[in-house]
Amino acid sequence: MRLGNVVLSELDKLRTLPITVLTMAGTITVAAVIGAAQRRAAAPVDVVPYVQAGFLLLGILPVGNEYTGRQFRTSLIAVPARGLLAVGKTAAAVVALMLTAVAAAAVQYALDTEAEGIGRYVGMTAYLMVIGLLAYAIALLVRHLVPALVGALCLVLILSPLLAGLTEHARWLPDRAAAELYQPTDAALTGPLVAAAWIAVIGAVAIRRFHRSDG
Amino acid sequence: MNALRAELRKALSLPAVWAGLAVTLFGSTAIAVLNSGRGKTAFETALGGMPLGTVGAVVIGVVAFSHEYTANNADAGGGRQITTTLTVTPQRIRILLAKVMAIVLLVVGSAAVTLPVTIGITHLIVDTTGPGVSFGDAIARCLGGTLYWTLMALIAFAITVILRNGVIPLIVLIVNSSVVSVSFLLSKLTSLAFWLPDVAGLRLFSDVMTVEGALDAGPGGLVMTGWAVVFCVAAGFVFTRRDA
Repeated sequence: MRLGNVVLSELDKLRTLPITVLTMAGTITVAAVIGAAQRRAAAPVDVVPYVQAGFLLLGILPVGNEYTGRQFRTSLIAVPARGLLAVGKTAAAVVALMLTAVAAAAVQYALDTEAEGIGRYVGMTAYLMVIGLLAYAIALLVRHLVPALVGALCLVLILSPLLAGLTEHARWLPDRAAAELYQPTDAALTGPLVAAAWIAVIGAVAIRRFHRSDG
Repeated sequence: MNALRAELRKALSLPAVWAGLAVTLFGSTAIAVLNSGRGKTAFETALGGMPLGTVGAVVIGVVAFSHEYTANNADAGGGRQITTTLTVTPQRIRILLAKVMAIVLLVVGSAAVTLPVTIGITHLIVDTTGPGVSFGDAIARCLGGTLYWTLMALIAFAITVILRNGVIPLIVLIVNSSVVSVSFLLSKLTSLAFWLPDVAGLRLFSDVMTVEGALDAGPGGLVMTGWAVVFCVAAGFVFTRRDA
């Protein structure tokens, strides 16, 4: 059994799941519509916070879908090596997230009349992928779609802004830390590392659970 | 009455409903505690956690219906609860009414616990010597906040009935109750957006978060109630005419 085949089969699963394709298309459409509407606005806002919900969902779907029916058992019969399955699934999720993030950032770049350089848009792509991967790790840990979705949405969209208004320590939250990828500050390297640490810790616990639990 | 009791028991047996109630109570309390000592009055501090209560209400509204459509474990037949529910209570409108009442009871109950608790806590830890809100004003805004939560839960419920899927209402309504609310963004482009359900009701409980031009509490509450009624009527229409 080769890793390539596992990745291809996981990508096939994502492609044939209508909600994944709809989420990708919907996220890019929202990015385009808000970006276009901002051209008329007096004080343009940052589009990234508005599209991160799409990336959260896209990160959760590859795992959430496995546990809604019997699919996880079928997957394990086809690929009994759980580590290989986890790696293949993660790679497929990264591909789906990357395609969507690149498209969403490209739309912003095309709409931005006074784009100051491509660097910010590369950072935006990276940030959106980090957000998606965070959701993926949470979903792998929680193993159910709705709790993972509500948890990730609350963490990124509700708790993080609320806490940011209250304490400066909120900058250690994964999404705040990762935001330094496209909103550079003096600590430009620390932020992404902190976000990567969050994903690594959640992901490590999740993969341990993936290995040990019943299907 | 039996249908209502059944729906309440079903709802209370769902872990997600308890999670929604917990988010409302503990989330609001935690935010109120963290928010204290920032120069706001005790009352404003207590209401700072309202968005978390909205999330809790939305979760309750969505899950109370979406669980009916979740397929059972394939080893147990892979059935959906909705078929059992319809067998037991064939009158579809009665099911919806019972669900609506159960949701209203749960959300109003959560508000009745959460708001006094958060206000009590903030009164204990925030310096209350400054100018506060009058008692009548405080009661009005607490009732307004309860109404806002209830209406959001009902709108979430109605969208779930129409779509038979909980993911879309969860995303749309949680995004819109956050700081990156799309409705709020629209309101900067066109004043028509102030008539959208979630923005229309904002002044029911808050007068700091809203920008100039938003509807006042009275008309805004009516507009939001109108939206909830329209969504619920549409849900009833769809639910009675469609295969489950």
